[in-house]
Amino acid sequence: MKRSASGLMAASAFLLATAFGHAAEPFNLAIPLPLTGGQAKFGEMMKRSYEMAAEEINAKGGVKGRKIVLSFEDSQAKPDSARAIVEKLIDVKKQPLIVGEYTSACAKAVAAVANERKTPYLIVASADDSITQQNYKYVFRQNVPNAYYAQGLVSFLREKVQPKTMAILYESSDFGTSGAADMEKWAGKLGCKVLVKEKYEKGAVDFKPILSKVKQAAPDVLFMVSYVMDASLLMKQIKELRLDAKLYAGGAAGFALPEFVDNAKDAAEYVMTATLWTPQVKYKGAKEYADKYKAKYGDFPSYHGASAYSALHVVHDALSRAKSMKSEDITEALKKTKLQTAYGPVAFEDKDGYQNQCFSETFVLQVQAGEHETVWPYAYANKKFIYPFPRWRDRK
Amino acid sequence: MNAAQVEVLLQTLIAGVLLGGLYALIGLGMTLIMGVMKIINLAHGELMMVGMYIAYWMFSLFGIDPYVSVFIAGPLLFFLGILIQKYLINTVLRVDSILPENQVILTVGVGMILASAATIAFKSDYRSTPVKYGTSAFYLSDLWKGSPIELSLSIPWSVSFLFALAITAGLWFFLQRTDTGKSIRATAQDLDAALLMGVNVQRMRVVTFGLGSALVGAAGCLFIPIYYLYPALGGQFTLIAFVITILGGLGSNVGAILGGLILGLFESLTATYVGMGWAPVGRFVIFIAALLFLPGGVASLLRRRAFGK
Repeated sequence: MKRSASGLMAASAFLLATAFGHAAEPFNLAIPLPLTGGQAKFGEMMKRSYEMAAEEINAKGGVKGRKIVLSFEDSQAKPDSARAIVEKLIDVKKQPLIVGEYTSACAKAVAAVANERKTPYLIVASADDSITQQNYKYVFRQNVPNAYYAQGLVSFLREKVQPKTMAILYESSDFGTSGAADMEKWAGKLGCKVLVKEKYEKGAVDFKPILSKVKQAAPDVLFMVSYVMDASLLMKQIKELRLDAKLYAGGAAGFALPEFVDNAKDAAEYVMTATLWTPQVKYKGAKEYADKYKAKYGDFPSYHGASAYSALHVVHDALSRAKSMKSEDITEALKKTKLQTAYGPVAFEDKDGYQNQCFSETFVLQVQAGEHETVWPYAYANKKFIYPFPRWRDRK
Repeated sequence: MNAAQVEVLLQTLIAGVLLGGLYALIGLGMTLIMGVMKIINLAHGELMMVGMYIAYWMFSLFGIDPYVSVFIAGPLLFFLGILIQKYLINTVLRVDSILPENQVILTVGVGMILASAATIAFKSDYRSTPVKYGTSAFYLSDLWKGSPIELSLSIPWSVSFLFALAITAGLWFFLQRTDTGKSIRATAQDLDAALLMGVNVQRMRVVTFGLGSALVGAAGCLFIPIYYLYPALGGQFTLIAFVITILGGLGSNVGAILGGLILGLFESLTATYVGMGWAPVGRFVIFIAALLFLPGGVASLLRRRAFGK
């Protein structure tokens, strides 16, 4: 008796919901991000960008008439917290898709959870190659994998530098390790010998011992994969030691942020970095997004923000095309994505051993007079590159 | 060994000594508290973070040099330490509980509160004080034109190191020569005896916690010109201080200084000759080795020699 009564109530509630509430009911999307801890800087930039995108989407009527309501869950860049958050979102909150996270380690954990539960997961800025190499049907990645990060930079090296020797320093995370391994492969193709390849623990205070070793090896190119404060500290201490290489290059992430220049000051001058996006790219909506962000928060966003901003538009596009709000239908819609975004054209391909991977052009930035300028490829450059770099001794 | 190898070795040793001097100052504060209170203060790194924020704001708002802030952050941290000891730790000390070490757990809580409060108040942005002399250095080849090797000595690192030395010397003088200092040492040596000799143990505890906090706050001011700052930075330095305290011999000040220097040199040498990625591993190898083979730390070696005479 009891059971049938509660069944009746559930049924009537369901009827009521379909009759009235459904159309206006908001679409809740919780996004896991690092909002505290060492990676919070990136998390914050992404959060702002998601919010900007949600505002625009809602102003135009939302998803099938439903407003997108965002909330953010702090994963502190810890894979186990990210995992727990996403398990909760899928199992308890029944959220039909997941967007977000930042560090590769977290994205890896989330990808495994999402795929196991057949819930689509859109990655916005996590680089580790292996994430989209595991035949995950439900995992999509909008940013290029780490192996492609330095593509633009490598083409610059090939055409303008032709280095004979190289040193690679990288942080001992998934992102750093795969970035360094990929650069080593590229170096092999360029006929360039890797003299030193060393990793360090993020947050190190003193890089001078390792840098003196690099100085002794005297490489043509010093390539570093680091987050922002390590990047500034590295360049500051390179200046202190007068370690002269023909070219210092960063593999995206920290080197591409305005904070890198703010903190390293004159030591950042001439440093080049690979990046996935710049405010100067000629994609439709890129400039509007960058200007709006700058007006609101005072600085230009890096590719992390642009990717997050565009990812929500991709989600909106997929949800609008999906037959229902079920995970399977959303996955199918995501797979068929063909969207021009501020971040570039987004489509998910199976290519080169990657699945559901979006491939786009990468760029080279150089710090000139304290600003990041796009210098490569030619078609996108807004300033001419400066090479070779002057020796420290000769700088003012 | 050719000239280039000598250059790398010397540069590594310079880096190790400079780093070790700063580590020693961080370790000293924890050791002092350990000696008197017999507890590990696990909020130590967070107190350093507070000191760094003070230096940061003094610099950004009033243009006060971080090295001048040593004299601002030190006293402020002293009072913060006193408040923590007087109103939190002493209160817990009086309560009987199943866990004998609940003061330690309390310090973990204090650390968490400080870190979270900093995140709320200042956001998790990275901050640094871009001082003018941030990357200046002395170069051997500038001083001696014909030098076969090139060495550089960073100015901010050296200044921080000298400050650390001066503060350490000041502390030594205070502990050896003043009444309060002697009372603190007495409390550390034997609490009951000190009590019988009329030392106000309760007050010594409060002063010691304040002093330990002031030391690490000063260390924060010395670190910010060469490092950077964010709210979650404390844990890393608590760990370093902890390793130094164990290595130095719980509660021994000379041990902490030597422990800091050993750790700094060890990390630099590991970075050059083994690999920088191994430095944190090496830190814990030292930690475990000290526990296993030298349970009394460096201090026990010193004591053994003293008795041997």
